[in-house]
Amino acid sequence: METVVTNLQGVPINHYILFCSIIFAIGVIGVLIRRNVIVIMMSVELMLNSVNLLLAAFSAYKGDASGQVFVFFVMALAAAEVAVGLAIIVMVYRNTRSVDINALSRLKW
Amino acid sequence: MTQAEAVNTSANYLPILFQLIVAGGFGVGTIIITHLIGPKVKTENKLGSFESGIEVIGNARQPFSIKYFMVAILFVLFDIEVIFMYPWAVNFRQFGLSGLLEMFIFMALLLLGFIYVIKKRALEWD
Amino acid sequence: MSAIITLSLLAVLLLYLGLFKAKKALLPVSLLGLLAAIVLYSIQWDTDAEPLYSGMVLFDHFAVAFSILSLFITGLVFLLSRDYFDSISEHVAEYYALIIFSLTGALLVVSFHNLAMLFIGIEIMSVALYILVGIRKRDFSSNEAALKYFLMGAFSTGFLLFGITLIYGATGSFDLTEIKNYLIANPHSISPLFYSGILLLIIGLSFKVGAAPFHFWTPDVYEGAPILITTFMSTVVKTAAFAGFLRLFLTCFVPLQDFWAPVLLVITVLTLFIGNISALAQQSFKRMLAYSSISHAGYMLFGILSIGAASAGAIFVYSAAYSIASVVAFAVLILVKRSRGSEHFEAFNGLAAKNPYLAFTLSVAMLSLAGIPLTAGFVGKFMMFSGVLANYHIVLLLLAVLNAAMGIYYYFRVIVAMYFRPADREEVTVNANYKAVLFIGALLTIAIGIFPSLLAGWL
Repeated sequence: METVVTNLQGVPINHYILFCSIIFAIGVIGVLIRRNVIVIMMSVELMLNSVNLLLAAFSAYKGDASGQVFVFFVMALAAAEVAVGLAIIVMVYRNTRSVDINALSRLKW
Repeated sequence: MTQAEAVNTSANYLPILFQLIVAGGFGVGTIIITHLIGPKVKTENKLGSFESGIEVIGNARQPFSIKYFMVAILFVLFDIEVIFMYPWAVNFRQFGLSGLLEMFIFMALLLLGFIYVIKKRALEWD
Repeated sequence: MSAIITLSLLAVLLLYLGLFKAKKALLPVSLLGLLAAIVLYSIQWDTDAEPLYSGMVLFDHFAVAFSILSLFITGLVFLLSRDYFDSISEHVAEYYALIIFSLTGALLVVSFHNLAMLFIGIEIMSVALYILVGIRKRDFSSNEAALKYFLMGAFSTGFLLFGITLIYGATGSFDLTEIKNYLIANPHSISPLFYSGILLLIIGLSFKVGAAPFHFWTPDVYEGAPILITTFMSTVVKTAAFAGFLRLFLTCFVPLQDFWAPVLLVITVLTLFIGNISALAQQSFKRMLAYSSISHAGYMLFGILSIGAASAGAIFVYSAAYSIASVVAFAVLILVKRSRGSEHFEAFNGLAAKNPYLAFTLSVAMLSLAGIPLTAGFVGKFMMFSGVLANYHIVLLLLAVLNAAMGIYYYFRVIVAMYFRPADREEVTVNANYKAVLFIGALLTIAIGIFPSLLAGWL
């Protein structure tokens, strides 16, 4: 465990922050420009996972376990959210035969 | 690993970079080379999919039953709860009896959910 | 905490009641559970609040007051649910259970003392709501609303989490007290991560409360969801989200007010204008209420903007007044839609001649939402605006008053339709539960309007 922590600390914290911000930004851009609902959901997962990575990095740097515990909660709740989300997508697919969000414009913006 | 070796510099990561180059290069290289040097004979029979001599009916990429979706989703939900048990198991002795009871309560709640799923007949395939 | 545990067990119990076909018992059992939770909270009122469970939750007066308000409004929503859920879905028990799960999340959001609890509370609240919004499986607009709400909710959760992470990176803790101590200990060397964290938290929470420019999901979701679920979302969920927002900023971020106040100011002004101007153009009563809920979010943001000792009380009174009036408005809408099949303003024509009681209570609710004196809405707006006047420029107050005037126009449209537009229509049948809820709503609205100290003394 000690070696893992020292290895993690070998990389400067700024690199982690930059790396995770880039992944997060890729996720945000994916949500904004993709039209396929499944791909949008994957982009959201990318956002959440970049947060998990950053939490673990901070946790190793601060020598504080609470960050890693938070990662567990994020993972568990993300799984619940994905389960509900996929169910909603299947429901929409059954009614519209499509997973393109352009099909969803009956309600005016 | 001793403390001196654990000090990281960018140079320590050079082997990983090499490994990536070799692994990626081998994969890409073999694909390109087989394309270039392999003999090419294109006939209709050869391009069709092989079904032991039987005529192909329809497309293989069909949507499958929604029942499988339910099983998969429920698996994801119950599977992810294991991550709370790993840290608990590591510190099992320190937590003592109260830790054991708390884990039992947690499992009982999951069990309540599982009984609900069975009673709702979400796991029946037909 | 015992109240929250009671409620989670109540929801499981309701699911099992549904399995064993005890449909008649659902409503009484849920109301009893809510009542028990209110009693459990009231007992806690006088005790000295200490953070519980390693500093995860704190049941101070703020938390208890907002919790009781949420429980009370949920009770009103449940009273309206008789015959309503049966008509749109066969899974009635799941309705009650999901609303109670969502309520449990809301109670966690108003009493968190650790950012982990804020996240968990918001997720429990939202995930249950995604299902509730899409519960009419064959109805296209319900489907669309559910998908939009889910995508926007998950997206905003990402921002919220990134904000929490950056604040953790700067301070090394999720605990509100320790974050505050960090700010007090290093007033001149705060990590830049902390500033970015605050901005991301503002974005995430603005999504959740439906403040512009992150409001675009609100009208569609409110319109597509079943009316009773819209009622729950625009009252309990909105109140809880605002309480969580305020609790976070009031406990931790007050020393950095110079940094975040301008950002929030822009959001507030945008929210007010977008909400009110769009509401002016609506033909559907339900969609008008959706836009008006955006503009009310703008007024409540004033309370966070002029943060101080008085802001908790102001937001509490405002959200109580707004929630009660909204419940009345949506209840009348359910009845009118049931008899006329339409949610448009024309469906209200001539209502006063046939159902004077309905028309009167709806008028009281509209006057309260518009902020006319002698109603609860006026007291709420008054407390909010006096906070703004104490802290900010008079121009801001003028903007707010201008918006209040716009609000009067569209709220009065429905009153005019009810009283001055004749139409031949059947009398709307009103069952006893609806009569009771309308009576309680109108009575409380007027009572708080005349005796503000009833509520204002709580916080």
